[in-house]
Amino acid sequence: MWSGNAASTRLITMRNRGTAEASGPVVEVVDVAKSYPGGAGVRALDGVSVAFAAGTLCAVMGPSGSGKSTLLHCAAGLDLPDTGRVLLAGQEIGGLREPKLTEARRRRVGFVFQSYNLMDSLSVWHNILLPQRLAGVRPDQAWAREVVQRVGLAGREHDRPGQLSGGQRQRVALARALAGRPEVIFADEPTGALDLSTGREVLGLLREAVDSFRTTVVMVTHDPAAAAWADRVVFLADGRIVDELVDPTAEKVAALMMAVSAR
Amino acid sequence: MMRLALATLRQQRGAYLGTFLAAFLAVALLAGGGLLLFSVLTAKPPADRFAAATVVISGDREVTLETVTKKKDKVKTKVKSERLTGAGMLPADLASRVAGLTGVTAAIPDAAFPLQLSTMTGQPIRGRDDAPVIGHGWQSARLTPYTLRAGAAPSPGEVVLDADLASRAGVTAGDSVQVTSKAGVRTMRVAGIAVPASGDGLPAQGALFVADREVQTISELAGPTAVGILTAPGADRTALLAAVRAEAADAAVLTGADRVRADLPGALPDYIGPISIFGFVIGITAFAAVFVLTGTVSLGVRQRLRELALLRTAGATPGQLRRLLGLESMLIAGLAAVPACALGVLVAHLVAARFRTIDAIPQQFTVRINVLVLLCAALAGLLVTFLAARIAARRAVRIAPTQALAETATAPGGGVLVRALLAVVPAGGAIAVLTFVPLGGPLGMGMSFVSSALLLCAVAALGPVLLRLLIVPLSRLAGTTGVTGWLAGAITRAEGRRVAAVAVPLVLMFAINATMLLNSALLGALTADEQAARTAAATAQVTGVGGVPLGTVDRLVALPGVTGAAATLPTRAIVAQGGKPEDYVAQGLLTVGSEQVLDLAVRDGAIGGDGTFAASSFLTEQEGWQLGDEVPIWLADGYQTPLRLSAVYERSRGFGDMVLPAQLVAAHDPRGLVSAIALRYQGDVPAQIHADWPALRVTPAIEAARAGDAQNQQGAWELMVVISLGFTAIAVVNTFAIATAARRREYADLRLAGATTGQVRRLASREAAITVAVGLILGMAVTAIVVGAFSTAQDGTFRLIVDPGTYLGMLGGVAALGLLAGALPTRLVLGRRSLPLVAEGR
Ligand SMILES: Nc1ncnc2c1ncn2[C@@H]1O[C@H](COP(=O)(O)OP(=O)(O)OP(=O)(O)O)[C@@H](O)[C@H]1O
Ligand SMILES: [Mg+2]
Repeated sequence: MWSGNAASTRLITMRNRGTAEASGPVVEVVDVAKSYPGGAGVRALDGVSVAFAAGTLCAVMGPSGSGKSTLLHCAAGLDLPDTGRVLLAGQEIGGLREPKLTEARRRRVGFVFQSYNLMDSLSVWHNILLPQRLAGVRPDQAWAREVVQRVGLAGREHDRPGQLSGGQRQRVALARALAGRPEVIFADEPTGALDLSTGREVLGLLREAVDSFRTTVVMVTHDPAAAAWADRVVFLADGRIVDELVDPTAEKVAALMMAVSAR
Repeated sequence: MMRLALATLRQQRGAYLGTFLAAFLAVALLAGGGLLLFSVLTAKPPADRFAAATVVISGDREVTLETVTKKKDKVKTKVKSERLTGAGMLPADLASRVAGLTGVTAAIPDAAFPLQLSTMTGQPIRGRDDAPVIGHGWQSARLTPYTLRAGAAPSPGEVVLDADLASRAGVTAGDSVQVTSKAGVRTMRVAGIAVPASGDGLPAQGALFVADREVQTISELAGPTAVGILTAPGADRTALLAAVRAEAADAAVLTGADRVRADLPGALPDYIGPISIFGFVIGITAFAAVFVLTGTVSLGVRQRLRELALLRTAGATPGQLRRLLGLESMLIAGLAAVPACALGVLVAHLVAARFRTIDAIPQQFTVRINVLVLLCAALAGLLVTFLAARIAARRAVRIAPTQALAETATAPGGGVLVRALLAVVPAGGAIAVLTFVPLGGPLGMGMSFVSSALLLCAVAALGPVLLRLLIVPLSRLAGTTGVTGWLAGAITRAEGRRVAAVAVPLVLMFAINATMLLNSALLGALTADEQAARTAAATAQVTGVGGVPLGTVDRLVALPGVTGAAATLPTRAIVAQGGKPEDYVAQGLLTVGSEQVLDLAVRDGAIGGDGTFAASSFLTEQEGWQLGDEVPIWLADGYQTPLRLSAVYERSRGFGDMVLPAQLVAAHDPRGLVSAIALRYQGDVPAQIHADWPALRVTPAIEAARAGDAQNQQGAWELMVVISLGFTAIAVVNTFAIATAARRREYADLRLAGATTGQVRRLASREAAITVAVGLILGMAVTAIVVGAFSTAQDGTFRLIVDPGTYLGMLGGVAALGLLAGALPTRLVLGRRSLPLVAEGR
């Protein structure tokens, strides 16, 4: 259904922001720095600026510990940066107080966490619908059912997360993010625990969300083949953006990764 | 292993706080209760009135029964005794016979009798710490010795007071005081002031000396209650004792610390009541402490299943984990025990102080700190914690190592069958207690507590099973309150075990305290009702400060216009019960006139008649008596007389189980005064009484004058409820806190799924509401069983609520506490830490 490397005409890089579509970036991170207390002075993010335009799939890559998860957390408003600004649909979220922040986040953002973070006492189905319920909107059950189908969880709706395999849980987390049709989906290694074909299925799903619904997807991955599904790849090392690649192929990504790691 | 245990302790300080707190409080309560019981068991009379005597011969101070059973060739002798409230007398000539023995310098008879002392303005005077005033003949002053500080020895019509009494009465030699004994009221001149060797008086009794010639007139005693023997220094003790014993015949010959037992029982602080009170205190607290501690420890272990599973993946064997958990729990309990013992000492002092204020224990009572008792409390706490941890560990360590990889670990559950078996035993015990023990009797309160304790154990064992029945409808109900309610329902359904663990302390709190409060309210109400019904026909009640002599009553009821009167003299009487002497509250009763004023609801026979007595239906059934039976009865001074059962009556609550002839009681009770006269009259009888006896009080309506004893019991009871309410409330809060602390990660996941902190807080309150509802429903069930059975045993009426105010108060109080305890820790857990960190379990 999808080609491995869908050519996109909506590529926007920081360098040619001027040609961006009228909608502009959905998420914009400006000069963000963050260090963790007690982390021996390690700056997890050290002045990162990056913008993710609407309807694009962007991959974030980098060695382990380079700050990828931290960047996603800050961009999604889950964590507050020490300095710098984060704009979500043009709105500065640094100034938002709870519960406004949560409300803004759950309206616009879906998140697939590296550690899944599902509710163990709820079934798969209820987990998937939970964010919409919490937001007080009537869940789109037909769409949710289709998402469940597409991530290959049909028939497992009534199981508890504890009864699923790691990959299956990762797919529940993805389904949960997709079911709410958010403007942005942040996915932290969404294919990390999946076999090749399921991984491809999941990537296809993300790609389709981008292409059909103009969803913006920001995805962390270590896999050059997965990164090749993206419109653009951003490379992080030691909390800085060190390089980026537009219209990536697996080979180009792999080569750049080697270079980044060697530095 | 020790290093690992220490390391986990240090790392997870928060997680162990709950266990620490539970162990700390449990040990403190055990230590406090233990110290109180120890102190009361080893309490010594504060001073010896016979300090100057070498040997004291004492009249009877207890009734002793000997039963001899022959089994084949073995002869078994069982000796049971019961303390008297009065003092038995000795032969009048014993003192002179003993005085002739070699080595005896003097043998001094002492007649001790309680008196009512008041100033000329009618103000009653008692000794220090409300001690009773005891009368003696002047010659016995030498036995202490009391010496004159001012004035002279008393002649007839005169008294010598100890300096303490004199200052309380504000009198000096030459002034007058009023002295009431059973022989009547008299005005006497203060001839002198006497003091013992140190201080102004003895600690537990005010001494009043009269002329030796006047002792018999005032006390109506036929002989001395004790004879004190003074000896020459260097006399042959053994020979002397043998000679004294020979003369004394059956009477007890006391030396050393035992001499004090020859004193009037009423003059010594009474520790029998406190022993049973403190026994009960330690019973309740020990149960609650063990119950709560066990629950907390096993909850704590369950919260750490994931960590245990991780240790299993790291290669720990189940045996190692068991040892680890056991060791850890001992370390925590050991750490807790040290400050707990200090708190226990404080608790004991506070409780003792409170009990002294409400007169539930003698003023002279002091808490004695005993290291062994403290050690035992600490050891008991350690042992309970250890066992609870090992039992919880048995199940927990069977966890598969792979569970560590799951989001939440679950231990294999104890099967329904095991739980059911564990529940059947205590439930059966409770049913047995409720069916076979006569709850209407004096054991009723204690036994109803035992049965509710057993039922609570059954509930704790069956918790998760019972819960499933309750949670489904409750969570459905919660689901109607929006998304957080729906979520709360789903979570509680999934986490039944945790809900059960948190609900059980709520069940405990409601059931234990409601049972105690409702049962005592029921008894109070029934007693008040019976009291009112007994005296409904009376139009007035006459009372005097400290009591009215029978002679006065005789003249008062003969006043023209009195159509009916009933005078009661409270006393105690002893009857044999299966070879054991048992002491009961009794009343001497004098009735005159054509109209009945006291209605005891006589079921069979008629009260009154020479040589007869009446008994309550409870006692009659207990003893298996029939009307017309001749029963040997011991009166307060140990005098035994056979009386014929002439009537059985129903209204015995707050009155007594036997009705005896007034004259007989007046003669043999040391005090022998009428406490109240119920009257029916025509014309202006009250004015006449005021004119003739200005000191007497006439009250138009009958005031339910509760016996002082009952009031003390009530006060003690209330304090016990306060202690157990406090402890169980802390247990509730503690359990909620432990359960919530382990949910930080779950709450963070919810926040990541888009819940606002407000939604998480609302979720926590709804979950708490479900938990509280479960706890209250089970608590109400336990209470209903116990209170229902108790109430049925009292008067055949089945009651559940008894006192709506108390019931609703308990319901509301426990619910409010539970809701608060469920909501507050959540706020703390939701603190400002950044979400991803918490969610990743860092
Ligand atoms: N809670 C924390 N406390 C201290 N330091 C942290 C914390 N979380 C992350 N760090 C540090 O911040 C840096 C960036 O971490 P981050 O999780 O963003 O890396 P990552 O690129 O996602 O790595 P990976 O590919 O392994 O997931 C690392 O050096 C890490 O040690
Ligand atoms: Mg990461």
